[in-house]
Parts: sequence; C-alpha cells; structure tokens
Amino acid sequence: MLQFGGIGALLFATGACASGSRTEGSDDASPGTGTDTLRIAVSSYLSSWDQDFVGFDPVALMLYKNIFPYMIDYGVTEADGSRILDTENVVATFAESFEPNADQTVWTLKLRQGLTFASGNEMTAADVKWSKDRAFAAQANVAGIYRTIGLTEPDQVTVVDDYTVQFTQAFPSALTRQIQAISLYVFDSEEAKKHATDADPWATEWFANNAPTGGYFNVERAVQGQEIVLTANEGYPGPDPAQAKTIRISVVPAAANQRLQLQAGDIDVALGISQRDIADLKSADGIKVISAASNEQVAIQMSVTTAPFNNVDVRKALAHAVPYEQIINNVYGGDARPTSSLVPLDMPGYDERGYPYGYDPDAARTALAAAGSAQITSELVYATDNDTQQQIAVLIQSEARKVGIELELTPLDPATLAERRQQKNIPLQITSGQLWVNDVEYMLATSFVEGANLNYSNYVNPELEEIYERSHTIVDAGERNDLWLRVQEILAADVPWVILCQPNFNLPVRESVAGWVQPMDGLARLRYLSASA
Amino acid sequence: MRIARFVARRLLQLVPVLLGVIVATFVLVRVLPGDPIRTILGPNATEVEAAAARARYGLDQPLWKQFLDYLGGLVTGDFGTSIQSGNAVASELSLRVGPTLQLVVLAVTVAVLIAVVLGIWSARHADRVGDHGIRVLALIGNSVPEFWLGLVLILVGYSVLGWFPAPSGRVDPDTNLTPITGAELIDAALTLNGPAFTSALGHLALPVATLAIVVVAPLLRSVRASALEVLHSEAYTAAAAHGLRDRLLRRGYLIRATLVRLPSLAALVFGTAIGSTVLIEYVYSWQGFGQWALRGLLYRDFPVVQASVLLIAVCYVLVFLIADVVHAILDPRVKI
Repeated sequence: MLQFGGIGALLFATGACASGSRTEGSDDASPGTGTDTLRIAVSSYLSSWDQDFVGFDPVALMLYKNIFPYMIDYGVTEADGSRILDTENVVATFAESFEPNADQTVWTLKLRQGLTFASGNEMTAADVKWSKDRAFAAQANVAGIYRTIGLTEPDQVTVVDDYTVQFTQAFPSALTRQIQAISLYVFDSEEAKKHATDADPWATEWFANNAPTGGYFNVERAVQGQEIVLTANEGYPGPDPAQAKTIRISVVPAAANQRLQLQAGDIDVALGISQRDIADLKSADGIKVISAASNEQVAIQMSVTTAPFNNVDVRKALAHAVPYEQIINNVYGGDARPTSSLVPLDMPGYDERGYPYGYDPDAARTALAAAGSAQITSELVYATDNDTQQQIAVLIQSEARKVGIELELTPLDPATLAERRQQKNIPLQITSGQLWVNDVEYMLATSFVEGANLNYSNYVNPELEEIYERSHTIVDAGERNDLWLRVQEILAADVPWVILCQPNFNLPVRESVAGWVQPMDGLARLRYLSASA
Repeated sequence: MRIARFVARRLLQLVPVLLGVIVATFVLVRVLPGDPIRTILGPNATEVEAAAARARYGLDQPLWKQFLDYLGGLVTGDFGTSIQSGNAVASELSLRVGPTLQLVVLAVTVAVLIAVVLGIWSARHADRVGDHGIRVLALIGNSVPEFWLGLVLILVGYSVLGWFPAPSGRVDPDTNLTPITGAELIDAALTLNGPAFTSALGHLALPVATLAIVVVAPLLRSVRASALEVLHSEAYTAAAAHGLRDRLLRRGYLIRATLVRLPSLAALVFGTAIGSTVLIEYVYSWQGFGQWALRGLLYRDFPVVQASVLLIAVCYVLVFLIADVVHAILDPRVKI
C-alpha cells in the first residue's frame, strides 16, 4: 500500500505550493464572527483511520497530518506575501530534535517530554519503535518509502532511552529529512496492545475504526459519512499549536453544493470545489480565493516501448502538436503556468532548457516525416471522472489530427486505469499530480528510472540510471544541481513526456478565515487556520 | 392462510433465484477489467506488497475456493471485508441501507399518493385544461435528469429561499441522534429525539421531492389510464345510471378497480428509484447505499459489489412479492 512514493508521490485533491505564491483578496480578513469553530467541507469521508494501511485517499491523508503526532514537519516561509510550507526546511514538531551523525547515516530522534495521547499514556521512544516495527511488518506505506533512504529492517530502528530513538541507514541520503517528514507518525502503542490479538497482533481492525490521538487535534466525534469534529490538543507544548479550538469537517461530495454552502456562510473553507466554481467565486461577496503557484504537473506520458511512440521523432511530433497556450487559457482560464522542463518549475535544480518544444504544427509534420510516417493512430487514455483531463484530451485530439496524429479518446474507470497502468500497456495517457518530496532524486526514483512505478513511459536511459545511483550518496546541493542539469538535457533529447503545464492552486474560503499556509504536499495543516482574523 | 402459504412458497422460490444472482455476480465482477488491489496500493507498490495485499483479502486463492469461502460466509452473515476500507461489508451495509431505504420508501409512497389523487382527478376531468396540465407536468418530471433537478431544488429551496437545511448529510449532528436502524427518522422516533426528528425531516424533504418527481410520471399515467378504463366500463356506467351518489361511485366502483394494476407498477418503480438514488445521494451528500455500491463497482471492490447486488435482488423479490399479495387483495379475480 505504497501511496507515499507513487501517485503518492502525486497528490490530487487540495493542491500544492511552491515559491512564487500570491494571495488574491486580503489575508487581513474582515472582522470575523469571533467564533472558535471553523467549518470545512471535503469531498468524501475517509476510508480508514489506519495510516499504515490506507489506500490513496487524499482526505484521510490530510486528516492524518492533523491528528497523528508527526515528529517532524516542514517549516513555514513567506513567498510574495503568502505563507507556504518550506520544503527545504524540515523542523522538529512533536520531536525536540532530529539530527544526523557526521556521515549522515545515523539519525537521532529526541522526543519532547510530557506529550500524551488522549488515553493519558505518555508518548515515548517505545511508541516510535512500535510504530516503525508495525510499518515494516505491514509491508505497506512506510516500509516502501523507507527503502529510498536505506531503511529496510526493523533492527535499523533502535531505542536509546525513553525519549531517544536512532535510525541507522544503509547509506547517507539527502532525502532523509523529507522522507521522515512523511513517515514519522506515531501510534499509541500501549492502547494498541490492549486491542491486539494473536490473529491481529498490530491491532489493524481496531485502528481502522478508531481515530488516532496525540496530534495537533483530537477527534471529538466522527459521524460515519457525514461529519468529523476535531478539537485542539491543548497539551501540545511545541511550536505552532492549533489556532482554532474546534474544526467541523463535513462531507459534501458535489462541488456545486460546496460552493452554495460557502456563499451561504454554512462552511468557511471548501476543499473540493471545481475550477469553474472557483472562477465564479473570485467575485462573490464575503469570499476570497487563496491562490498560489503550484508544482502540480499535468503531462502526457508516452510509452517509449510501444509503437509508434518508440520512435523519438514521433514523440517530438506530438510534443509540437499540443496546443499548450490553448490548454492554459481554455481549460484553466489562464490560471496555470507554462513550463520548460520535466522538472517542476519550483523544484530545486529546475532548468528551463529541459523541454525545448512548443506548439508548432509545421515542426510536428517535419518530425513525423522524419519518423517515416505521415499518419499515425493511437489511443489517448484519461481518468473517466476527471472533467479537466477530458477537456485537455479533446483539445489535443483536435490539434493532433491537423498534423496527422489520430487519437482515439479512451476514458477509463479507476480500477481499469490502475490495472492498465500496472501492466504499463497504455501508449498515451494524461497524468496529473504533484511529488510529495520536492526533489529531483525523488522524481527520478518515482518516474524516470527502470522499474519506477510512475514510469508509465517504460523509459530507461543508461546515463540517467547511473546519475540516479550516484545521487543516493551525494548530499552537497551544488553537486546535486549539476547532476540535475544533465538529467534535464537527457530528458529534453528523449522526450518521454509531453509536459502540458502547472496549474495554480486555488482555495476558496470565507473572508473571515485567516492563517492559511500553502502545503507543498497538498495536505492542509489545519493548525494554522483560524475562523476569524 | 392461503396468503401465508403463497408467501411461504414464494420465499422458497427465492433460494434458487438468489443462488443464481450470487453465482452470476461472483463471476461477472471478476470478468470485468480492473484490479481492486492496485486501486488501494497505489502505483508505487511492489509485486511483493501486492501479493501480500491479495493474500490479506483471500484473492490469492483459486476461484472455486474463493467462491466456497464466500458462500460459507453468507451462511453465517459474513459478507467479507471491503478491499477499499478494510471494514466488514456487513457493518458498512447496515450503516448504508437504512438511509437509502428510508429515502426510497418515502419517495415512492409520496409518488404513489400523488399519482392516485392526480391520476383519478385527471381521468375524471379528461381532456380539460387541468388534465392536460397534469399530463404535461408528469411528462416534464419524467424527462428531467434527477441530478439536475436535485441541484435546482437545492438552489431554490436552500440557497435562495433558505427553507431547507444545507445539503450535507441526513441529520444535524448536533442533535446527537443515537443510530439504531440507520434510518434517521425512525431512529429519532424510537429514541424520542424531537430535534433529530425535525432535522431528519428537513434533510429528507428535498431528496424525497426530487426522487418522487422523477418516478411519479409512469404511476400517474397508469392510474389515469386505469381510471379512464373504469369510467368507460359498462359496470361503472350502469352504476352511475342507477343514480348512485358520487361519493359511493368513486369509493365503491372507481378507486378500487383503478388501483388493481398499481402494485405491480409501484414495485417496478421501486427498483427504478433504487437506481436513481446513486445520483440523488451524491447531490444531497446522503452517504447511502447507492453511492457505496457505485464506488464499490468503480474500484472493483468485489465483496461490496457482491453484497450490494445480492441486497438489491432480495429487495426486488420481496417488493414484487408484496405487490402480488396486495394485487390479490385488491382484485378478487386473482387466485394465489
């Protein structure tokens, strides 16, 4: 159940961030109602409370960030007047510190003293160890992602004393802090052991149905399918405690209803609203739309092992046939950024020479001729429930036809799409999402090296493989950026993706809502939010 | 006694029907393309992790073994474990069925009442302005998509007029309703929770109206046609010629004879209404059976699909059984 590294590397629901952020409307909200309760609408109820076994569920993952005690997390920085999570600055939160030894292979985690779970049990090193043992035993989320930093066995996690845990990695990695920011959540092991059985030693059944505790918020009430009420954990002694005393999260699947309820003042934040509704809400009374640049990428992955896209000239032809500007204007209403690399715009190491293609039908015809074919056909796959992808597909189909590329649009339901992606047998597919770790090494690991699970292009380049291997043990930023420049040159020549654009992140809220911090991983940190300015 | 024997016989006939449904669903859901395990794992999972997940849900077993395990579970009331949520399907089902049945039963009841009253009135005023108006309205109601109709009713009833609560759930959580059956109205009545009862009623009004409008047309047309047939029959004409009072004519001769066909049609409409709840539940944030079953199908959550199809089959059979009994009571010519 490896969400974190894969599409888990990619996030879809609540968006993103990066540098270059901006805020529409004022963050200095008008005088609020003075209430301590914040009301948030989400699109679905979470599928499980057990983070080790949850499927890809953006609502659940967002909730976990707020109710599990995460030992470390991203810090906050300012960009163009907006507060954003700082992906290059991981700070201790529920932990007191998380530091490496000299060669960066042994990382020591020191917990704050006096932290307790809702059960009254104190949070200690034993809880961290039990949680990591559980993760390795699960062979699921954390076990999968830990491989990228050389953690593969429970024995690599050791308890030093009541408040100290050590992680001994097989190799040093520049990704350690970011990977651990995703993975270092802790269960109440004393409580869990009460519900464990011989058949279920890790209390999976109990955790699936009972909310975790000890995070910034505790779950006061959860009405299946309808509402979750969070209350601030007032026992948290660390930085950035929860601002709102109570948060009511209601489930409103229809985006149109979220919009109506936001306008009526029945909710304060709408976390599942459509692009079209957001555009309308920008001029609505009492509402502001928080907007920021994002590292979400929308792309077409071409299977380089499937004819006709096993010919690089055909791939170049499609890259020239796509109407990039038209997509940004017509599909996103101008609310997206064009990009010049397969590395996201705001990722360290981005270089604009990474994607030298633009809309040019003549160049597309020339490339197609160089491939020895004047006319090719293919299916173009997208997710059946994704209106945006459908619009993009229609536009591309129309333009590609003009240069001799006939595309058959194939919408697929989630199960079929997942199966065909696993089988890696889709010649062309629209993908969208955002990497959880804002780093090129992580991007290569998930998307561009042999066997990477997001590598739907089946793309393999020996030099890129070698760069990836070298990158594991290089921690110097300058040296790494040199590698990333070469990576982008290789990708520009091989063009395994048509990179369409990076849509901006937009979040409509009531004017009284203050404190929003843009999450680079799409998982809103609700502790910063307050219901009134 | 005769009816009891009939019901018992029909219930016995249920067994082969449901067995057929069980086999067909089990096979068909596995024939569909799509991998349920991959939808929960995410694309970055290794084959080892996928194999572990398959073993967890028993999907690594031969198909015949999976089927026998499924059958064995059914006997003990165990519908399996949802692949998406990891929860017992039986417990998820029990949470979802009550709200949807409450919605469907209320909507079909309202639709039947409207159809009977307006259908008979329309027939008695055939080819006048009122009759034409009702028929046109029924046609429109039958033509509009439930999704669109729901949104319009929300826009008017909640957003513009403010008469109804926000379309986010089935009852105000602050009423602290204790769930018993899952049907909020019944639970509120059982626990004597007045605020919850009022709140549940408010939340039900628009979805029930939407569903009732969607299904009323065929019922209304049928009642009107039956009533016209009765009105033009020799028996009715003779009764009227004998100078019977209007009230007696209506109750004794018109209504009972008109309603003979209604139970079978209402049973059919009940099935349509269950299908329509998928969209209505989405629009009204209802979190009921329809959305649950649809999600199960989209993600190939085998145990959820199997349980939901089986439940629908049981509902269908039972509703038609009830319809047959009511038909027999209304029409003395029918022997059961």
